Amino acid sequence: MSRAAPTLVIGGAISALFVALALLSFIWTPYAVTDFDIAHRLQGPSTAHWLGLDHFGRDVASLILLGARNALLVSLVAVLLGAGLGVPLGLLAAARGGWIDELVMRGADVVFAFPALILAILLTAVLGPGALNAVIAIGVFNVPVFARLTRGSALSLWTRDYVLAARAAGKGAARISLEHVLPGLLSVLIVQATLQFSLGVIAEAGLSYVGLGAQPPAASWGKMLADAQTLVAVAPLQAIFPGLAIVITVLGLNLLGDGLRDRLDPRLTEDR
Amino acid sequence: MKLSSFFSGLLAACALLVAPLAVQAQTSLTVGLQLEPPNLDPTSGAAVATDDVVYGNIFEGLVQLDPQGAVKPLLATWWEVSPDGLSYTFHLRQGVRFQDGTAFDAAVAKFSLDRALAATSTNVQKQALGAIARIEAVDPRTLRLILNRPDGNLLNVMALGDTVMVSPKSAGKLATDPIGTGPFRFAGWRRGDSVTLDRFDGYWGKGAKLAQVRFRFIGDPAAAFAAIKTREVDAFPDYPAPENLAQLRADPKLKVIAAASEGEVILGVNNRTGPLANVRVRRAIQHALDRRAIIDGAMYGYGTPIGSHFPPQNAAYVDLTGLHPHDIAKAKALLTEAGYPNGLALTLKLPPPNYARRSGEIIAAQLAQVGIRVKIENVEWAQWLDQVFARHAFDLTVVSHAEPMDYDIYDRPDYYFGYSSPAFHALMGQLQAATDEGQRAAILGQIQRRIADDAVNGFLFQFPRLGVFDARLKDFWVNSPTRSIDLANASFDGAGGGGIASGRSGGGAIPGLVLAIAVVGGLAWLTARFGAVWLAGRAAIMAVTLLAASAVIFTIIQVVPGDPAAFMLGLNASPEAAANLRQQMGLEGPAAQRYAAWLLGMVRGDFGVSYTYQTPVAGLLAERIGVSLPLALLAMILSVVVGAPIGALAAARRGKAADTVVMGLTQVGVAIPNFWFAVLLVMAFSIGLGWFSAGGFPGWDAGLWPALKALTLPAIALAAPQAAILARVTRSALIDTLAEDYMRTARAKGLTASQALWRHGLPNALIPILTILGLQFPFLLAGGVIIENVFFLPGLGRLVLQAIGQRDLIVVQGVVMLLVFAVVATNFLVDVAYRLVDPRLSGRAAR
Repeated sequence: MSRAAPTLVIGGAISALFVALALLSFIWTPYAVTDFDIAHRLQGPSTAHWLGLDHFGRDVASLILLGARNALLVSLVAVLLGAGLGVPLGLLAAARGGWIDELVMRGADVVFAFPALILAILLTAVLGPGALNAVIAIGVFNVPVFARLTRGSALSLWTRDYVLAARAAGKGAARISLEHVLPGLLSVLIVQATLQFSLGVIAEAGLSYVGLGAQPPAASWGKMLADAQTLVAVAPLQAIFPGLAIVITVLGLNLLGDGLRDRLDPRLTEDR
Repeated sequence: MKLSSFFSGLLAACALLVAPLAVQAQTSLTVGLQLEPPNLDPTSGAAVATDDVVYGNIFEGLVQLDPQGAVKPLLATWWEVSPDGLSYTFHLRQGVRFQDGTAFDAAVAKFSLDRALAATSTNVQKQALGAIARIEAVDPRTLRLILNRPDGNLLNVMALGDTVMVSPKSAGKLATDPIGTGPFRFAGWRRGDSVTLDRFDGYWGKGAKLAQVRFRFIGDPAAAFAAIKTREVDAFPDYPAPENLAQLRADPKLKVIAAASEGEVILGVNNRTGPLANVRVRRAIQHALDRRAIIDGAMYGYGTPIGSHFPPQNAAYVDLTGLHPHDIAKAKALLTEAGYPNGLALTLKLPPPNYARRSGEIIAAQLAQVGIRVKIENVEWAQWLDQVFARHAFDLTVVSHAEPMDYDIYDRPDYYFGYSSPAFHALMGQLQAATDEGQRAAILGQIQRRIADDAVNGFLFQFPRLGVFDARLKDFWVNSPTRSIDLANASFDGAGGGGIASGRSGGGAIPGLVLAIAVVGGLAWLTARFGAVWLAGRAAIMAVTLLAASAVIFTIIQVVPGDPAAFMLGLNASPEAAANLRQQMGLEGPAAQRYAAWLLGMVRGDFGVSYTYQTPVAGLLAERIGVSLPLALLAMILSVVVGAPIGALAAARRGKAADTVVMGLTQVGVAIPNFWFAVLLVMAFSIGLGWFSAGGFPGWDAGLWPALKALTLPAIALAAPQAAILARVTRSALIDTLAEDYMRTARAKGLTASQALWRHGLPNALIPILTILGLQFPFLLAGGVIIENVFFLPGLGRLVLQAIGQRDLIVVQGVVMLLVFAVVATNFLVDVAYRLVDPRLSGRAAR
């Protein structure tokens, strides 16, 4: 467990910074990103613009801040959506067993069997592009993750003595699930939520990269990468900054997840 | 054109430099195109990509337009128009043969035009040919058109790709097997990758100088840059990334040409209702626009500002850019006058090309300055056609109107921007009656003024045709008003050389047979090993999953907005042509019936026929698997070869420095988005070092090594995050097994640590590793969607992206089902592998 502490500290620090920057963007950015200064586009970093200007002459640092907000909101809501639907399904499957269990698990199989990105692209073709629809497209694939995890962990809790005692006391399956099983799952769910959160950041970047995520003037790291792609030979920093933002954020969230896992449940392995 | 003279000078200088070396000039040419044609029949559907490839090369019409827009003879040597304008007599060229051997005469010409006008025709120009009452083959060399009203535009329509001459023998198969009278004949089409044309030796004219031409389809701007920079293509006549041109200009082996096109880029305004019906609001928008900033920001300075819907190179052009100058105060005043002192909110729908998306972002910022709050919505072309063009559900849009002389759209109140003006209609009437050139020019001037004064749309800039070419290439490109890439006279500098044999990809019956034997043998073995009951249970689960997935995907497809037929026929199609096409596509009828038909077909291996390519979907899937499957396997091998040993190393050195470094690196590896990594790889290893080609796929018939080489960079990009995950899993699995009692026992009986690890640790650690591999494989198969775009590989991912964009929904269904099947089959194989590795599992069903 000697490794756990630094992982948790570094991961927690990066994640906290990410959330702080995202929140900061609600009240302050260095410049307004609606200011187009085309004459000075692709300018390198300076004291006035720490990360330089983009292809429209917008302040890159401000765009990165707004991109953090977008990544945070999309991934967070997608996780909440996935957990909000997946956890109850998993609890239900574990509590009832039988055909309900089979139905939930087979349903999860079907969703897992779909190529996620292609389905997300189809969904945005139906719903139109936008941050909210990116949330739905990503959230749909979080549902079976939480359902499976909840069911698997809940099944083992159902065999525990304190649950048996509750059953003996005449409590119904729903009450037991909520009062005794769910609290026992919290640590596992928090760890998984952190990891799904980081997957969501990458997925959102991918969708925005192909133009299906947040729509301008909202900023997105994936959109910034797409804009920078043809400029790599001319202005490589344009692709470096948003790329680094994604890598650092995902890295931080993964480290946080690993650290939390080691702290909360040392028996779990790292193979999720 | 100052630029072109500069470049011809540059070209001459280059020619002098290479002259001593050029013993034999190159006779095969590769042209890069942004869009792949959906099919190769120019007489049905509106895809400009079809005209790019076939018009002037494979097909020819009776007449053509010269660079100044004048009508010139082609298959008709001369023609007469009766004084009342109701009879056109064409005298046809002699000695013309189609590439299928059919002789061209008046009967064939009559057949071609009758076909375009037929009731079941899906020809886009059917309405434009509406004045034709009757077509007569007077004698084999004379064709006469009898009109029911004069039509000054008829000869222009006869110069379009839609009215080319076709051979009665082959007219039914033009989509996949185009036959015309042009200087090149169709040689092959590798879908998603390229179309190849060979010189037609029986051509009536001088004949092409090039022996072979290949059109390669590269939609991604970054991939286009890489392709021209690494000379994967010799020419990119419609280069999509103006931001790279400065850099490409600096390369002496390339020439860059920016020329005028017939395209006007406009801010389309819905004139029908709401605030935009008020001319003051529309004028306010004009004053809010800063054209120079839009051209600089979106096009990097390429493009000429326009003040009306008319191209500056036309003799009748009137410069109206000063009519509504950029003036924020004036714009605000106009808005206040119109009753919007606090501004207003509008939506702006933007189609995919960069010029539209970038202009749109700048326009939104400019309109914000006068108090107009713009909500941007990016749409695909299919959605644009449906929402903006067909249903008029928009406020603003940005689009390029590429058709020459298309001011008549302002005379159509049902057109998407919905302009309706009696004054304009009267002008159009005068224009049709006018025969004198000077008189016509004067009326055209009034037409331009009228729509500018009414501020119908925001007139932004003339679309520049940006081309990048190998400097040795000459006579390639004429600034012709007709949409085409005419290569009849193109050649490379230097003496003529020999031809190049064309490669064709071919499927094989033998691999199919081997596969069938393997499947049957595998099933027999599984039955023997695990029992028929288990196998039947697994098969039932697989079948149910596939069935559920098919229902889900079919349902989603039903609600995808956008009509495939409307998409194929484009902007000028008549409703009846669209209905004809829907019927042909099998899109009519109840959903349940179509679902059942699709399902039953798939059971027999029939996935339907692609709407756009018009070939069986099964064949398309087979072609694309030939790229995606090897790519996925290669990526998987790479991730195992790299990831597993690294993970084992970290496990063996647990807690030491090596472990920390490896684990840190894998964390970074997991966090890197693979599309970003792919771009970095191209920049470093293709453009920088030149070790690998920037993309494309030569096909397996080009040889194992070239094919593998083309897949190497994409495989690395795909494999990197997977290898990182695998390393982590291997490490933790090994650490877990190392802690087990049997490992201690193994050490106690005298094995060394590494012996114990290999003999007892690894087999037990295999289960989690297998699980991850099983999860990874289908992901790699489908997960290459973006990677395939970056490297323009003709794989499944690119097929499905393109199919979604073009609403080729039957292909989308097919690809998704194939990928779902891959997941299900992989799960099954992983399950089998579990049982082989861990006999304890044989007793119960593993999940």
